[in-house]
Amino acid sequence: MAATAAAVVTRPIAPEQASLWSDAWRRLRRNRLALAGVVYLTFLVVVALVALIHTPYPTYEVGVGIPYQGPGGQHWLGVDALGRDTLSRLMAGAQISLIVGVGTQIVVLAIGVPIGLAAGYFRGWFDQVVTFIINLFYGIPDLLVALILVFLLGPNLTNIIIAIAVTRWMDMARLVRGQTLSLREREFIEAARASGAKPSKILFGHILPNALGPIIIQATFGVPAAILFEAFLSFLGLGVPPPTPTWGSMAAEGIVTIRIAPAMVIAPSIALSLTLMAFNFLGDGLRDALDPRQRR
Amino acid sequence: MASPILQVKDLQTQFRTHDGIVRAVDGVTFDLYPGESLGIVGESGSGKSMTALSLLRLVPDPGKVVGGRVLFRNQDLLQVTDEEIREIRGRDIAMIFQDPQSSLNPVLQTGFQIAEAMLAHKMASKTQARQRTIELLKRVRIPAAESRVKDFPHQLSGGMRQRAMIAMGLANAPSVLIADEPTTALDVTVQAQILELLGDLNQELGTAIIMITHNMGVVAGLCTRVLVMYAGKIVEQGPVDEIFDRPQHPYTWSLLKSIPRVDALRHERLRSIEGIAPDLLRPPAGCRFHPRCPFRIEKCFTDEPELKEIKPNQFASCWVTMDRARAEMGADQLLDIRPGAASGLEPGKLVD
Repeated sequence: MAATAAAVVTRPIAPEQASLWSDAWRRLRRNRLALAGVVYLTFLVVVALVALIHTPYPTYEVGVGIPYQGPGGQHWLGVDALGRDTLSRLMAGAQISLIVGVGTQIVVLAIGVPIGLAAGYFRGWFDQVVTFIINLFYGIPDLLVALILVFLLGPNLTNIIIAIAVTRWMDMARLVRGQTLSLREREFIEAARASGAKPSKILFGHILPNALGPIIIQATFGVPAAILFEAFLSFLGLGVPPPTPTWGSMAAEGIVTIRIAPAMVIAPSIALSLTLMAFNFLGDGLRDALDPRQRR
Repeated sequence: MASPILQVKDLQTQFRTHDGIVRAVDGVTFDLYPGESLGIVGESGSGKSMTALSLLRLVPDPGKVVGGRVLFRNQDLLQVTDEEIREIRGRDIAMIFQDPQSSLNPVLQTGFQIAEAMLAHKMASKTQARQRTIELLKRVRIPAAESRVKDFPHQLSGGMRQRAMIAMGLANAPSVLIADEPTTALDVTVQAQILELLGDLNQELGTAIIMITHNMGVVAGLCTRVLVMYAGKIVEQGPVDEIFDRPQHPYTWSLLKSIPRVDALRHERLRSIEGIAPDLLRPPAGCRFHPRCPFRIEKCFTDEPELKEIKPNQFASCWVTMDRARAEMGADQLLDIRPGAASGLEPGKLVD
């Protein structure tokens, strides 16, 4: 049913989005910080794509430079303990961060949106069960859940995405549930029911398009949270296993020798910070741009 | 007369609240004939909207239809499956709501929403639906219909939105159209246009209309028959001319008396019905209107009157009836319309 419902949704919203989005984009452009975020993130995506086909040095090759060498002409960001080029690894690390960030939010949307819609619309026992499970997940420390899942499933990229999503879906489910609870009482939903619309049509054709703004904002803020969480797991040595370069594991490798080769820690840290800031600025900008009370 | 298209029998809708059971609709019975336009009038909380919502099983929580029958094409709409009632909604019995501003989905194109009403019942293919949407918009007299299809609700005026709602209601050529205060949110000139439109559509398409309103003027302009509701019950019903010329229930009489008149004397005060609508949690004993009725007699305090035929086709539930009130209590000359004023049973003079 999910597949047909999705097919039903995409078509009707498309023309609508043209208007909503052009409106939102117009307001977003006026926000300098958000615009800077967009520019930086575009740059990051390009870097990640370029890294697929070309990096200054092969990402995994050891001994391309003198270990612990600082930034300089041959190696812009220096060389790590095994003699690998930091810039090349940083570029490849951007792929991991973006995939984890966006991938997690896709999983979060796939879990949170249908559950939130159904709980908010049908209420009753289903809503109570969902609310209970949400509270349960909030109660357990997310690090613990993620660690157990990574241990059980094995440390690879997909499993890390799943593990992070499992600790992050509740916010989305709760948001969508709240939106649905308030939207279902609106008159146009009653009118849709009175004209014989099926529940699936009402949920995905009427309620979801109206909740899209807050959902997008929530997802945008979710991306940096997931990236940070992955970096944290990697820093602890529980993320994507070496030799795959991730920003978190690069910082972890460099931390022991921070006095002699600070670039090994500073480079991934700055990349991480800039990325988190960019997503947060974008999220803030989207919140202002999509806020119906600020329609100008 | 032809056989009724919709028969409502002893409809009971209740709300279970913390304080007790509210009988929002309490034994409503009426017939609707093909192509007629029936008005249901009453003040806020009289149960007229709930009656309409009950017909299509759309009563909001915690309300529930607990009894009665709604017969449409030999089936009881209160007994059919959820799937079946969903098919009937919008296809055979359509409904339009009070506020066109909030009854259209703000993020979907108006034309798309009208086409959707057809697609929901597989009444047309996508191309046919698109074409028919433009025809419908023309039919409800929206200018430049071809370009308006793509407009979002906020780009339309209030009157145009209500026209679009009516177009949506008519999309599947239903045999019954329920209009729940369709003109209340509109200004007077637009109201008149919408009523005229509904009247024309009623004539041309033969769609039976149930018009729910608190506005007697709307009823006079559109309807052929009227039900007057008070506190969840029908207190009077009959042809519109009879009801306006010779109402039999004091409540109907009071409603008509409280219509502002253009030809009123300068110093004449605008009349209202004394008192407030009864609390349906604890409805008054006897006749439910007796606490506000100028013509009440002792029997009204204890015994509940039944709806009975006073004149051919005109029914009222009253122990006194206005014929008697006119003859014996001088109702037509009455200036003081406080409870019991005409019959001498004013609150202060009551002996328990």
